[in-house]
Amino acid sequence: MQDFEQQLRDALARKEQPPYFEAKVLAATRRQPKPVFLRWAFATASALLIAAGIWTDHRAGIQAKEQLQLALRVTVTELGKVQRTVRASTEEE
Amino acid sequence: MIKLALITCLSLAPLGAQELKIPASLDRLAAKATEVVDVTMDANLLQLAGRFLSDKNPDDAQVKKLIEGLKGIYVRSFEFAKQGEYQDSDVEPVRAQLHTPAWSRIVGVRSQKSNENSEVYVKTGNGKIGGLAILVTEPKQLTIVSIEGSIDPDQLGQLGGHFGIPKIDTRKETGHGKDE
Repeated sequence: MQDFEQQLRDALARKEQPPYFEAKVLAATRRQPKPVFLRWAFATASALLIAAGIWTDHRAGIQAKEQLQLALRVTVTELGKVQRTVRASTEEE
Repeated sequence: MIKLALITCLSLAPLGAQELKIPASLDRLAAKATEVVDVTMDANLLQLAGRFLSDKNPDDAQVKKLIEGLKGIYVRSFEFAKQGEYQDSDVEPVRAQLHTPAWSRIVGVRSQKSNENSEVYVKTGNGKIGGLAILVTEPKQLTIVSIEGSIDPDQLGQLGGHFGIPKIDTRKETGHGKDE
């Protein structure tokens, strides 16, 4: 019984803080702003990626419109040529 | 089940075969040509282009309406510096596809003077035009246009003078009386 009391007393006895304990706590506190910075960095990177995606989509759309314009221009021009050939052929007769 | 799938595939095969495929062999003509137009627009690209056409702009709206029923536009045009850079055999694979029951030639004219051969084909089904093909061969130029999907040629003609497209001269009869 006495041995148990002695063990309890030892366990509850006041102990000196380990060396650099305060410095370690302060350093950990100073590290706290980093997650905020990371969050901002992540948000900025996401925004940039979204903007890049929209820009790429926009460019592809503009290119598709230009291709369509070119295709229709050739088509209408060739139809015009066909008409002229037909007309010339009819006039020859 | 396999039998059913086979029957479905076989019944759908002629539909696929009706589409005009521009042969890859034509691409080799690009090396000899001084000017090349190569446009390949499938349904997805047409849809994307359509998103960039404004309903508020009358020209854009007209084109948007035109491409609504289209599945694809394919254009190959080669302009050469001198004659004889391409042969009839280069065009033959295209003609062979067009000489099938699915396609009807609505215009076919050969001009002796300019040695120009113009042909317009339409693909019809259920009383509607489901495709348009234009084949124009000139001594120094070869043009093939294939439009897949529901197309109104009149609508195409109306595009002349709009959307950066030259106006077609439609003052005289188109001469469909000279069809085959």
